[in-house]
Amino acid sequence: MKSVRNHLMFILPLLAILLGIEFYQVFERVTKHYEEKLKTGYTMLVVAKKPITLATLKQQNEHIASLTPIKREQIVKEAAGNLDKQTQKEILSALPYFYNAGLDSYLGIQMLEKIKIDLEKLPEINRVETFGSSYSSVYRLFTFIRFLLKFFIGFMGIVSLLLIMKQMEIWRYEHQERMQIMEIFGAPLMLRSGVLFRIAFVDAVMATMITAGIFLYVKLSWVPQSNIPLLMQKQNVLFVISDIWVLLGVALGIVFVAVFSVVLSSTKGIKE
Amino acid sequence: MSTVISAKNLTLAYDNGRNEIIKNASFEIRKGDFVFITGPSGSGKSTLLKSLYGEIRPKEGSLLVGGVEMRNVKARKLQELRKHLGIIFQDYRLINEWTVEKNIVLPLMIDGYPLDVQEAQAQRLLKHVKLSEHADRYPLELSGGEQQRVGVARALSKNPVVILADEPTGNLDEYSSNVIWDLLENACKQLQTTVLVVTHKMPTVFSLPYRHFIIESRGVYEVR
Repeated sequence: MKSVRNHLMFILPLLAILLGIEFYQVFERVTKHYEEKLKTGYTMLVVAKKPITLATLKQQNEHIASLTPIKREQIVKEAAGNLDKQTQKEILSALPYFYNAGLDSYLGIQMLEKIKIDLEKLPEINRVETFGSSYSSVYRLFTFIRFLLKFFIGFMGIVSLLLIMKQMEIWRYEHQERMQIMEIFGAPLMLRSGVLFRIAFVDAVMATMITAGIFLYVKLSWVPQSNIPLLMQKQNVLFVISDIWVLLGVALGIVFVAVFSVVLSSTKGIKE
Repeated sequence: MSTVISAKNLTLAYDNGRNEIIKNASFEIRKGDFVFITGPSGSGKSTLLKSLYGEIRPKEGSLLVGGVEMRNVKARKLQELRKHLGIIFQDYRLINEWTVEKNIVLPLMIDGYPLDVQEAQAQRLLKHVKLSEHADRYPLELSGGEQQRVGVARALSKNPVVILADEPTGNLDEYSSNVIWDLLENACKQLQTTVLVVTHKMPTVFSLPYRHFIIESRGVYEVR
């Protein structure tokens, strides 16, 4: 019973850290796709006096990734379709050139403003409309959620590390006597810490398996029934096998640091 | 007989050399010697013993144990040296979560002896210290005298060159004490093991015909 409790006291905080890491990885993968959609879905409107090229805009600002002309004839047809052809022709000749300019990544509001200023420096450009307010609200919500998530995971990680340090104190208390006796009889460090390493290794593997199990369940069983389109579309990236190695690596790293700190603090060495 | 322990102008101190416990001590102990070390409380008996198994580094002079200079011994060398020492403590220092048998074979385990060798040696020693029926019990289930017999068996398990015993009968009644003295004498006589015993039990010291060092006023004096 005491042994089970000791394992749980270490596995639970380790599990919290691993869940945080995996949740962050999954969030990044899913939102990367969402971010991609926002990026490709977003364009700014460029109004020019005469036809312009992508190369011209790219020279002004490297973030411009695409340039699609908006058909002026279509605009005239929709706005003045009931007028005679001659009038439509006159309107068409007076109409400036409209373009949708796409960006290479999802950028902040300040960067959008900079792009607008850069592009408006060109003499052939009349105006650039960034649609900043709607873009801004989505972007701010997105960054806020990401910040909250990072903060929560960071907080959880700190609390968990404190719990692990507490458990290390218990380990030190429980194993110090044995390790010191073994040291007096000439046991090398690895032998006298063998028991702790075995416990820690088992705990690391268990915490990794539980984390992987939870995310596999979410991926294979919960998400298909969730009716959340974003998750259902990206079901394949919710948990990938390579995540197990990342989780195991982190878990082993934490437990080995924990065990070494206990072992080294229990070593008496030679008093000068 | 060859010299096993040799001290020349040995000074031992605590607190980074500020508090000198033993100063300028010189002595030699040969293979097969049985040596009592006595002295008033706080005179430095246990300190001297600790310096012999490398828990305290000498401040000055020379201290050779099995040919190893303890003043500048490195951790790995010390680790090797300790495998040839049998150490007995007043408070037994057994591993309470291990069985008696496992405690006894600790030095063999550390040296990587095969399990069957460990088992055979444990059986022989359990019989020797008259604890055969307690092999699977845990130290805290035994009396003080029995626990110290386990400690002696552990110290003997690898036929060490030197046994260092720090007040081995300090917590025991007369009967248990006599059992421990017999075991240590036998080891010395039959195996030619060098035995150093720190004790304050003067009647025992005077009743046994062995070398006797007294530590007093920071000096080590051989009185017999």
